[in-house]
Amino acid sequence: MGNKQTIFTTQQLDAYQDCTYFTRKEILRLFYRYRDLAPQLVPLDYTSHPDVKLPYELIGSMPELKDNPFRQRIAEVFSEDGEGNMTLDDFLDMFSVLSEMAPRDLKAYYAFKIYDFNNDDFICKSDLEKTLNKLTRNELTEDEVRMVCEKVIDEADLDNDGRLSLEDFQHMIVRAPDFLSTFHIRI
Amino acid sequence: MTSERAQNPSSNEVSQTGFPGEQQSLRLRGVSSGASDQNYPQFNWRSTSEEEEEEEDEDEDENCEETREIRSRPMHMALKRAVRQVQEMQVPVVSSGKSWKWRHAKSLRKLKNNSREFLYFFVLWRKSLQKIGGNFGGGVQSYFLFLRFLVVLNFFSFLLIAGFVLIPSIVFRSVGSSTGYSGFVGSQCMKYDPNPQGLIVFYKYFLDLLSGTGFMEYSYLFYGFYNNTMVESGNFSYNIPLAYLGTAAFYFAFCLICMIARMGSAFRVTVATGGSTVGNYSMMVFTGWDYSCLGDQATKLKQKNINYQLQVDLEEQRLKRRAAELTLGQKVLLYSLRVLMGVLSLALIFAAFYGIALATDFSQQKSGQEGILGLIFEYLPSIAITAGNFVVPLLCDQIALVEKYPPSNTVIVALLRSVFLRLMSLGILLYTLWSQITCEGDTDSAACKLCYYNHGDYPCWETRVGQEMYKLTLFDFLIHFAVLILVEFPRRMVVDNSSSKLAQWVGRQEFVVPSNVLVLVYGQTVVWAGALFCPLLPLINTVKFVFLFYFKKITLFYNCRPALKTFRSTKSNFFFLLVLLLGWGLALVVMIYSLSEIHPSFGCGPFRLFSSMWSVFPASFYSLPQTSQEFLFFIGSQAFLTPLFVLFIVGMCYFIALASVYGKSVALLREQQKREVRDKQFLVKQIEELKKLHPPIDNAAVYES
Repeated sequence: MGNKQTIFTTQQLDAYQDCTYFTRKEILRLFYRYRDLAPQLVPLDYTSHPDVKLPYELIGSMPELKDNPFRQRIAEVFSEDGEGNMTLDDFLDMFSVLSEMAPRDLKAYYAFKIYDFNNDDFICKSDLEKTLNKLTRNELTEDEVRMVCEKVIDEADLDNDGRLSLEDFQHMIVRAPDFLSTFHIRI
Repeated sequence: MTSERAQNPSSNEVSQTGFPGEQQSLRLRGVSSGASDQNYPQFNWRSTSEEEEEEEDEDEDENCEETREIRSRPMHMALKRAVRQVQEMQVPVVSSGKSWKWRHAKSLRKLKNNSREFLYFFVLWRKSLQKIGGNFGGGVQSYFLFLRFLVVLNFFSFLLIAGFVLIPSIVFRSVGSSTGYSGFVGSQCMKYDPNPQGLIVFYKYFLDLLSGTGFMEYSYLFYGFYNNTMVESGNFSYNIPLAYLGTAAFYFAFCLICMIARMGSAFRVTVATGGSTVGNYSMMVFTGWDYSCLGDQATKLKQKNINYQLQVDLEEQRLKRRAAELTLGQKVLLYSLRVLMGVLSLALIFAAFYGIALATDFSQQKSGQEGILGLIFEYLPSIAITAGNFVVPLLCDQIALVEKYPPSNTVIVALLRSVFLRLMSLGILLYTLWSQITCEGDTDSAACKLCYYNHGDYPCWETRVGQEMYKLTLFDFLIHFAVLILVEFPRRMVVDNSSSKLAQWVGRQEFVVPSNVLVLVYGQTVVWAGALFCPLLPLINTVKFVFLFYFKKITLFYNCRPALKTFRSTKSNFFFLLVLLLGWGLALVVMIYSLSEIHPSFGCGPFRLFSSMWSVFPASFYSLPQTSQEFLFFIGSQAFLTPLFVLFIVGMCYFIALASVYGKSVALLREQQKREVRDKQFLVKQIEELKKLHPPIDNAAVYES
C-alpha cells in the first residue's frame, strides 16, 4: 500500500501499530472517526503532535457508546486526565483494548477499573450496587439488589475482605467463557 | 491513582504505577513473561529499569516478546510509546545474529498484519452480522455465523465436486468417449429409459423441475447421467468411477475436518472454564453486559434481559430450596410423573415416525402419476416430515409444562427431543426407501432376484434416492419462503395494527435460535446423505442457504422482537457443531451402506459394471505399478500396522497422562491460592496481637531514636 497519507509520519504509525492491536488501515479509519466528532478541533496533520483533547460530551455521543450505561466510566478510565476528555492516543487505546484481539488479562484489568466507581482499587459493595443499577436500569428492588450483591461477593471474594480486589476479579474472569466476546466494541 | 499516571508521562523510569495495590504485587512480581501462552498471557510486571539491565543477557526471543507485549500492558499510550522508544534505542546493542532473528520476527508480524488487512475484504456479510449482533445479541448472531459457515462449507464442497467429477464428465461427454458396455446380465436389468416420450405439456416442465423427474432426471443433476468412462490416452488417464467415489469420500473427510477445527476452538473455551455453574451471579454482573450493543432499543432490551436473567436465577434458587423441602411422597409423585411424560413424548415421536414411513410407502407406490396430484404424491414424505417436525415439538412443549424441570433443564430436554425427532425422521425415510429398493434386504424375493434390487420399480435406484433428497431440499426452501410470506409478515401486520387482546397476547414473533439451528442441521444432513446420488446438491444447498440468510435477516428485522430469554452463545456454539457432527455421522452410515451392500444399477451411472460401488477401489488398485502395490500391501500388512497401533496407544496414554497432570496442577494452584489467603489473614492477626502486647516498648524506642 502506498504511503500517501500525510496525517502521521511513518514512525508514528509504526509506533501506533506496536502499541495497539490495530493495523495501519484501521488506525487511519479510527483517526477519521475521531476527527468526525469535531472536525474544527482536530487537525489533519498530526506530525507535529498537536495537543488536542475532545470533551467527554463528544466522545459520549458516538453511536458505539451513546447507549452504553458505562460510557462515562469507560471514558474516565481511558482518558489521561480521568475526567473523560480524550486525546487521539486515549481514543486509540480505548478501542484497542475493546477490540477482539486484546488478550483476556488486559481486558480484565480495564474492566475492573471501569466497575470500580470510587477508584479505590477495590470493587466494594457500593460499586457493585451502582454497577447493578446501571445494568438493570434501577428496575430491581432493593432486596434483590442486596441479595445479588451478597451472592457476587460470596462467589468471587477469595481473600474474604468483603470486597473484590483485582486478583479476585481476574480469577473469576478466567472462568467466564463469554467475557472476551461481550467486552468488545466493534468499530 | 490517575494523578500518579499523569505525573511522568514520558519519563524513562516507567515503574509499576499503572498497577494498583502495590502491597499485593509481591506475589505477582515473580511472574515471568517468557513465552507467554496466548490464552492466558501473564503480565510482565517487571519495570523497564530491570529490563534495561537484563537486555544484554536476554536472548532474541525475549526481544520480540517485549515488543509484542507493549500493547498488552495496561498503560496509557504515551507511556507505551516511551517504553517502545527505549526498546528501539536498545536494538544496536544486540549482536548481529540476534538482530537478524529479531528483524525476521518483525517482518513476520508485518506480513501477518498485511494478510489480515487483505482478508478483511473477503469476509462475507461482515456488516450484516455486526448489525444483527448489536441489535439482537450474541445468541441470534451465533445462528447467522453458523449459517455463514455452512454456506462456505457447501460452496467449497461444490468446487471440489465440480473440479473432479463434473468438469471431466462434461469434457468427456462432449469429446464423445465411449463407454464400455457388456451385457453379461440379462438385458432386462439394463433397461433404463428416462427420456420423456411423446408430446409434453408445457406445465410438465415446471412439475419436472420441482420433482426432479422428466427432463431433469437424465442430467448432470443426478447419478444416472454420469458414465463409467475410463479414459487412457498416452500419459493421461482418468477414471470417472474412481474419481466419483474418491471425491465423495474426500468431501466427507473435508467436511469432518472443517467441523472438528471449528469445534476445537469452542471446546477449548468450554473446557478451560470448567463448565461449572459456580460464579453464576458474578459472571452475569461482570460479563453480562454486551458492549457491542447498539441503539437505544437494543440497550433497553439488554437491560430487561439481564433483569429477567437475575430474576430467573433468584427464582431458581427459591425453587431449589422448595424442592429440597419436598416430602418423600411428593418426590415419588413428581418422578413418576416425569417418567410418564417422557414415555408419552417418546410415543408421540414414534407416532410421527410411523406416519412418515406410511407416507413414504404410499408415495413410492403412487409414483408415476401425472399432474398436480402426482406432484403432491411425490412430495408426500417431505410434507409428512415437515408436519411432524412442526407438530411434535409443540406438543412436547406442552408436556414439558407438566414435567416441571428447572428452566435450564427444560431447554436441554426440549432440544434433545427435537434433535432426535429431526435426524431420526430422515433416517426413517431412508430406511423405508431402502426396504423398497432392496425388497427389505431379501435378495431371493421375486422382484429382487434378477438384479439384486427391485429393477421393476427402480431401474436406476440411485437417481431415485437423489430425487428424494432433492425434493426434501427444495421443499424445505419453499416452506421457508411460504411461511415468511404467508405467516410472518401477516402476523406482524395483525399484531401491529389491531388492538384486540388476542393479538397482544400472541404478540410479535420471537426468533428462537435452537429450532432454527436444527432446521439448518437437518438441511445439511439431507445434502450429505444425498451427495453421492445427486452431485450438484451442494451447489443447490449453497444457493438455498444464501437465500435463507437474507430471508431470515429480513424477518428478523421486520417481524421479530428480540427474545426475552437469552441464549448463551459460547456453550451453544459447541452444541450446534456437535449436532451437525451427528447429522454427518448419519449421512456417513448411509453412504457406507450404499457403497458396500447395495448393488449398483445396471442401466445407469458410473458403477454399472461393478458388483458394488466399493469394488472400484480394488479394481483400480491392481492397475497400479507393481512397486506401489507392494508398498500399499506392506502398509496394510500386520508387520506395519501393529507397531503403528502400539505407537498410537502409547501416544494416547502420554496425552491422557499430560492432561490429568495439568488438571491436578490447576487444582493444586487453586488450593495454594486459597491457602495463601488464609496465611495472610493469619499473619495480619498475629501482627495485630503483637502490636497489642508490645506497644509501650515500641513507642519508647521511637522516642529514643
